[in-house]
Order: sequence, then C-alpha cells, then structure tokens
Amino acid sequence: MSAQVFVEDVAVGDELPVATRNASRAQLHLYSAATWNPHRIHYDVDYARSEGHPDILVHGPLQGAWITQFFTDWAGPQGRLLQVSWQNRRSAVPERDYELRGRVTAVDMAAGDVTIEGAEQTPEGDVLVPMRAVVRLPRRTGG
Amino acid sequence: MAASIITDEIRAQIGQLTQAPVTAEITERDAQRYALAVDDLNPIYFDESAAHAAGYRTLVAPPTFVGHVVAATRPLSELREDGLFRGGSKLKLGLPRVMAGGDAWEYLEPAYVGDVVTAESRLAEITQRDGAKGTFVTSVVETVFTNQDGVIVARLRQTAIAR
Repeated sequence: MSAQVFVEDVAVGDELPVATRNASRAQLHLYSAATWNPHRIHYDVDYARSEGHPDILVHGPLQGAWITQFFTDWAGPQGRLLQVSWQNRRSAVPERDYELRGRVTAVDMAAGDVTIEGAEQTPEGDVLVPMRAVVRLPRRTGG
Repeated sequence: MAASIITDEIRAQIGQLTQAPVTAEITERDAQRYALAVDDLNPIYFDESAAHAAGYRTLVAPPTFVGHVVAATRPLSELREDGLFRGGSKLKLGLPRVMAGGDAWEYLEPAYVGDVVTAESRLAEITQRDGAKGTFVTSVVETVFTNQDGVIVARLRQTAIAR
C-alpha cells in the first residue's frame, strides 16, 4: 500500500510504479480452491501439455486480480476503482516473473477520474494481457 | 471457413440467462481466503478500522471476488475430462477446450462482507473465428451483481474462448 495519491498530483503520461508477480504452484492450487475452479490445465501438467500448453497455466482471472490490485494499490485507501478490464491474449505459467506496467492516458480533474492503460508483460516486453482502468481519486483541495 | 458451430439454437440464446441466477453471501472467511490466494493484503479486506478509515462501513470484499462468490457449485460426478463442469452453463458448443479471454468490470458500489449478492448472467455475444490454431468461438457473458437491497454493485462482461 502506497501513500494516498491525489488527482492534482496526476498528469497524462505519468507512469505507475511497476509491480512484479510470480505465481508459485501452491498459489495456483489455493486460487483454484478459493474460487471452486476444477479446470485441469491449472494443476495437471500432463493434461495441460496434452492441450498444447508448455506447463500448467496461471488462471486468467488470477492475473485479473493482480491487475485489479495494481490499480487499487495505486489509487490508495481513499481512491475508488470504477472500471477495470483486461484481455488474456497469451498464457502465463508459474515460477516466472511478469511485470505490470501502466501509464495515465486521461485525467478528468473535475470528477477526479484518471484513466490508466497498460499491460502485464514479460521482463523482455512481450505483452500477455493488455489492461485499462478508471479510478476516482480524492482532491487535495477537498470535495 | 469451417462449418458453423453456432447453430440457430445457440444464437437464440443471446440475451437469455446462461444459468439460473445464483445468490450467495459474502462471508468474511471466503473473502479473506480469496484475498490471501491472490496475495492482495490490502487492510480494507482484513481490518475493520482500516476499512472505516478508508470510508467504508465495514470490511470490503476484493473487487474481483464478487465474480467468484456466486460460482455455481456442482457435484464431482459432473466433471468433464478437462475438469470443467458439464452442467455449468446452458451454452453447449461441443468444443472441448475453454480458456478465459478477459473481463471488463464496472464497479458501482462496494461489495461488503455480509452482503448477499445475486448474479444474473446473460449471453451477450457469440462469434466464430478462424485462427492460426483452427476454428474458435468467443462468447461474451454479461453478469449483473445485485446486493440484498436491490442495488447493483457491479457489472461484468466476461469473454471465454472455446476451441
């Protein structure tokens, strides 16, 4: 959790702090359990390979949860997530680093709404999951 | 172009419920297990005073958890070869492999621990495409999440890719 960011402090072109995620096999197991997800591609390596995957896969919505947290952490306790979207274009596997990067593309100073676009990508820059969010930030001047 | 997988019967389901509406309570334990599993330790999910300080009336559920609390629970006898549930959806494409394609969430109100959420899911779009790995079908299901007061807390457009 970072300190509170205010809309007056934000400008188009600002980069959000980069976050790195790396899922262990145990995390995939717990995520399947916590979401009642029995899909074999997330825990059975032989089965995942039979579908043409290199390994078991990180759940698309788990990456969505990473992405959501990337935006809520940046928005801070007084910020509110209004919209978040992502497209799972390429698969992610456990025990690899993935970076979440975002850049401010619009600021509505009156409403306090900030649009951020970015992606989950490999450290080499290959995009796995394009993403976008709108967050509402508090105003330093109140109101 | 491969033969059409999307029959008139499937096309007629656009706008229809993909499954019976599901109602479930957001319990503190379930919401926190989810937060721990995704490794999001935001104190508003765990510490009532932190939630109050952030302007919430009580503990909040992680935003994406709302989509899971209403997961239809089915008996193991209904598992398919790939581990997915046969009876999970009324949409029957006859395609063996299904992948998540992405979500688009709109959050209107916080979902709190203790809320009882009802999810209504309708088929919004279904499209057949020919790709490098063969024919695939993308479907978009729109879900509206309503709390016990009849207030819409979130809307979700969820894309699935079947091949």
